[in-house]
Amino acid sequence: MTATTTIAARPVRLPSRSMGFVRDTILLTGRSLRAIPRVPERLLDVTIQPIIFILLFLYVFGSAIHVPGVSYKNYMFPGIIAQSLAFGVIGAGVATSNDMTEGVIDRFRSMPIGRLSIISGQVMGQFCEQVLGMVIVVVFGLLLGWSPQLSFAHGVELVGLMVLGMLAFTWAGVLFGMLVRSPDAMQGVGFIVILPLTFLAGTFVPIAGMDAVPRAIAQWDPISTLVAAARALTTPGVHSGGSWPLAHPELAMALWCVLLMAICVPLALRRFNRTLAA
Amino acid sequence: MTEIAIQTEGLTKRFGDFTAVEDLSLEVRDGTVVSLLGPNGAGKTTTVRMLATLLRPDAGHARVGGCDVVTDGPRVRELISLTGQFAALDKNLTARENLILMARLRGRNLRAGRRLADQLIDRFDIGEFRDRLVKNLSGGEKRRVDLAAGLIDVPQVLVLDEPTTGLDPRSRQVVWSTIRQLVQDGVTLLLTTQYLEEADALADRVILIDRGTEVASGTPAQLKGQVGEQRVDVIAADSAAFTALCDLLWERFEVTPAPEQRTISIPAPDEAADLARIAAFVDESQISVDEVALRRPTLDDAFLALTGHTAHEQTPETEEAAV
Repeated sequence: MTATTTIAARPVRLPSRSMGFVRDTILLTGRSLRAIPRVPERLLDVTIQPIIFILLFLYVFGSAIHVPGVSYKNYMFPGIIAQSLAFGVIGAGVATSNDMTEGVIDRFRSMPIGRLSIISGQVMGQFCEQVLGMVIVVVFGLLLGWSPQLSFAHGVELVGLMVLGMLAFTWAGVLFGMLVRSPDAMQGVGFIVILPLTFLAGTFVPIAGMDAVPRAIAQWDPISTLVAAARALTTPGVHSGGSWPLAHPELAMALWCVLLMAICVPLALRRFNRTLAA
Repeated sequence: MTEIAIQTEGLTKRFGDFTAVEDLSLEVRDGTVVSLLGPNGAGKTTTVRMLATLLRPDAGHARVGGCDVVTDGPRVRELISLTGQFAALDKNLTARENLILMARLRGRNLRAGRRLADQLIDRFDIGEFRDRLVKNLSGGEKRRVDLAAGLIDVPQVLVLDEPTTGLDPRSRQVVWSTIRQLVQDGVTLLLTTQYLEEADALADRVILIDRGTEVASGTPAQLKGQVGEQRVDVIAADSAAFTALCDLLWERFEVTPAPEQRTISIPAPDEAADLARIAAFVDESQISVDEVALRRPTLDDAFLALTGHTAHEQTPETEEAAV
């Protein structure tokens, strides 16, 4: 009993659902990506932190840290990469929180497009930003003399793990971005949670030398697993251990990421359908 | 033409303890313009957000084009287009890029999207600022782009939420003439506003709402009839002048004196003609007056007449805060 009456020539659009989803996702991802050159400071959020940590640990604290069997430079960079990966939660969260307060999301939600494609466009846009940030960090590291020792197979594995990791952390960030009240809250809470986690891990110093309590935490800290995985693939001769995830870092990292997504993806979709953007 | 475009029954929405919309039943027939008139916090925005499937009602039903907003959301979204109070545009894209994006999301290819965007740019007089980023546009400019974006496909039901709030008078005129054009084209329109004047200018039927419920409804003329007519107020310069004016005017006109304000009110059904007549008469008498002015009933008058309290006694801004 649709009230089809006087309105003339309203084009009816009936593409197949799945094609429509892919198309809309691409369009909405494109929308997010266009913001990068126009709001370059958003990219700065993702890159400035790691660069400061690189400089700080390489040239200030690093001089006092000695890790047997490897130069500190090569020891530290996998840690920086894992840390940037984790900070991706904050970057994606802040950006999402910003976007969700914009009226444009309401426009999308009231349009005849799949709501799933709105959120996947958001995730893809954030993901691309994370990738770009990571590339900048890696290039910066290589310029400063980081020399990872990668076989081709390890290279592929590393890239695969990083992509998986960034996807997982982006989803987590998108979820948190929708849960918090404001971008500032996301920034604040993010740092309170993520920053200690990245320090209570094998990021900058070997876990083995830590005191008993931080050592126990660090052994099970997911970020230690990320660091250990990156290190296992790029820095032969350094082995961490002491817990199951650290003994099998690549597998453990993949499992962490899958677990994170299994929790965050459904929650994010649920939250998005209920979200009350002003 | 007798089909019903929007129908709600007992529509209710609560935010915690605050009931934003309570038991609201309304009907908008195809091809008509209905205005939801009320002060801030009356539940206007909450109502239209439920109609546009952005909020889930807590009780009651709402149907758009016969489709239920809860169970048939995707169909409703094909029929309705909501342009909200706040610009629903991507601020990091230009006006034109926004329109192209919206057109493409509505199924146009790039070429058709560009063509349609350019047509809308002409129609809404956006050309001057089409390549500026939306975040750098003024309120009135944004509103025009926003309206254009809501009209990529002529929707079966167009919902405009306070389309002129915060606009300067010139921009308001532009928006009004755009809306009139759309109405001529036969669009069904639900318009929310805080301005009685706006409802009067645009709507066939007005539903006055307050605290989430309907207070009165009818044609603008009926509503104004209930509220009182427009009148001319003559404000005397001092109390002696006031007395003199009263003596003079009551013989010729139906006066209502208000001594504390030194104001004499006279009904003015013919508006400007009455104003001119009264002004000329007062001028001839050479009694000194501060002001002779035509007063139209305002939303405050309407509220006072229909609810016994003024619009501003409301808990202010609750709706916006809750949404």
